[in-house]
Amino acid sequence: MAQTTVASEYSSEVHAEPIEHRFNPYSDNGGTILGIAGEDFAVLAGDTRQSEGYSIQSRSMSKVFDVGDNILMSANGFAADGDALVKAFQNQLKWYHFNHNKELSIHSAARLTQQLLYGKRFFPYYVHTILAGVDEEGKGAVYSFDPVGSYEREQCRAGGAAASLIMPFLDNQVNFKNQMDPSSNGTKKKELRYLSLQEVVNLVKDAFSSATERHINVGDALQIVIVTKDGARTEYHSLKKD
Amino acid sequence: MAGLSFENYQRNQFLAAKGHGVPKATSTGTTIVGCKFKGGVVIAADTRATSGPIVADKNCEKLHRLSPKIWCAGAGTAADTEMVTALISSNLELHSMSTSRAPRVVTALTMLKQHLFKYQGHIGAYLIVAGVDPTGSHLFSVQAHGSTDIGFYQSLGSGSLAAMAVLESNWHEDLDKEGAMKLCSDAIQAGIWNDLGSGSNVDLCVMEVGKDAVLYRNHLTPNVREQKASSYKFARGTTAILKEDIFKLIDVEEETIHSEAMEVDA
Amino acid sequence: MNGISVDINHLKKGEVNLGTSIMAVTFADGVILGADSRTTTGSYIANRVTDKLTQVNENIWCCRSGSAADTQAVADIVKYHLEMYTAQQGEQPTTKIAASLFQELCYNNKDALTAGIICAGYDKRSGGSVYSIPIGGSIHKQEYAIAGSGSTYIYGYCNKNFRPNMSKDETIDFMKKSLAQAIKWDGSSGGVIRMVILTKSGMERLVFYPHNYVDSE
Repeated sequence: MAQTTVASEYSSEVHAEPIEHRFNPYSDNGGTILGIAGEDFAVLAGDTRQSEGYSIQSRSMSKVFDVGDNILMSANGFAADGDALVKAFQNQLKWYHFNHNKELSIHSAARLTQQLLYGKRFFPYYVHTILAGVDEEGKGAVYSFDPVGSYEREQCRAGGAAASLIMPFLDNQVNFKNQMDPSSNGTKKKELRYLSLQEVVNLVKDAFSSATERHINVGDALQIVIVTKDGARTEYHSLKKD
Repeated sequence: MAGLSFENYQRNQFLAAKGHGVPKATSTGTTIVGCKFKGGVVIAADTRATSGPIVADKNCEKLHRLSPKIWCAGAGTAADTEMVTALISSNLELHSMSTSRAPRVVTALTMLKQHLFKYQGHIGAYLIVAGVDPTGSHLFSVQAHGSTDIGFYQSLGSGSLAAMAVLESNWHEDLDKEGAMKLCSDAIQAGIWNDLGSGSNVDLCVMEVGKDAVLYRNHLTPNVREQKASSYKFARGTTAILKEDIFKLIDVEEETIHSEAMEVDA
Repeated sequence: MNGISVDINHLKKGEVNLGTSIMAVTFADGVILGADSRTTTGSYIANRVTDKLTQVNENIWCCRSGSAADTQAVADIVKYHLEMYTAQQGEQPTTKIAASLFQELCYNNKDALTAGIICAGYDKRSGGSVYSIPIGGSIHKQEYAIAGSGSTYIYGYCNKNFRPNMSKDETIDFMKKSLAQAIKWDGSSGGVIRMVILTKSGMERLVFYPHNYVDSE
């Protein structure tokens, strides 16, 4: 609403209409995350740039966490909410261990995450969440969530600022969308197959270096966490800093 | 009618009020600087153009020529900086032909400020104007609303604060050409690294008294992309064939023409 | 609301503002104009060495406050008219003529302008004179005038310390101390203090750096 000041005939009498000021509890801290499931592994990757508006708050802020029990978690969007969600999850996991004295499976972790997110249905965690791990059959698993807890198990998912840039690339390179079997001369769909760890890591690196080229909130460094039944390990790669 | 057309203004206001998105102009969320030195003046710019958070152009040109020895760097709405620059460049040339004199920087500045003031800030051009003319070397800045500033060093755009930090700490009175070029590129780099609206390369233009202006396009390229991890060349046959039709484009017909003497009109 | 609706809060987004401390004072030999040098866009200082004292004719100057674009445009137009006057009449215009031009432009375009101007000059007919033209386009002939956001802090000080027919040094001292206080308390004023002295013997420009005026009273 435009603010106007109305002066009456009595020149000293000035009346200003009120303007409404409101605190906005959310902000967008940029960044992008990406999860891909392999045959017996899963990777969860994220860039380490945290930004607000045109300013960089940190060039080295990790947002992919090994939350325990071979589960990787990342909540991208509003950083404070992301941290709060991961902490809430880790807290619940601790209670789960006390109460049941066993590891939390990835599908139970997903259901727990849904409960945590929906618990704030009317004041949501402003995040896109991805969980990665290995399921009870030993297969790689990636779960992705919307801000209020709707979720789905998928082969791959990109979230955050450059999700819309990366996801079509993943559709094509992971699920072979719009690709035909070359030997069929463009008549038979290319058959799905599991990608090797090396292939997946290469895809992740290229997805992030490409997103860095075209999205201003992506860059600085790339953190890739790889999880297998034997545990999680982290790789770091540098990204452009402009 | 001369000037810009505002015929869709009301319609767009109405559409926006009903919650429809308004078209987003490409903004050169930019860092541009200028700096004087003993025998001339230098201006510089980054080369990133953005549309919201998306990089629209990784290597755009923000240094515009107003006349052979008067150049300007533009920030703000990309289309506005380009069009206003082209307009003033034309008028400057006509003016210098009718007066038989080399164009002056103040003339360019006055034409720019009067044009921008007329449009009350709706033409979103923020410019650093610099050059050499028979009166010497000059450096000015113009804001979209039509106000102008003068100074030994200037910075404009979203990265102007980062750039000004460098200018304020490293500028000194007796800079030479090389010093001014270094200072300007350092200031631009401050924007490239620390301002998300700026990025890619450094363009630079040096205007020296008694010499031709020199444009250093991509003076620095500190952001070359590294080699990709894999190749994404698709094997022949990857593209789906939905339908195949073969047309015979050329029909060859033979006809024998009897060669008789042609009749020509008298 | 049965009144005249004046949108005085129309500085457009991103418009450069001269949140200012300016003044002009008549004294024994003529008049002195003074100003700070800060230009702001929001909280950013876009220019810390601005010259808010603008020459519009041989011996007539003005102090600008409000929108930088508006005041520069108005001053340019006045300057043009005074040049035409000189060419056509074959004599220098008086300060009163210049001030009237400012007033007419500011009044006729009041719905489009944010300009608070002090016009001051020296002419043989009236000596040094000061005209204040605040935002609505009214005109006030005064012995001295203060304006801009910083001026509110020094109404009392100036009222107590101004004396008619001061000497040049007394006037400079008075203005320096007044503007120092305005700059001290007003966040949108700052930088150096610039002055222009207009007397029968021509004009003189002065600059005072912070170490020359801070704690001057």
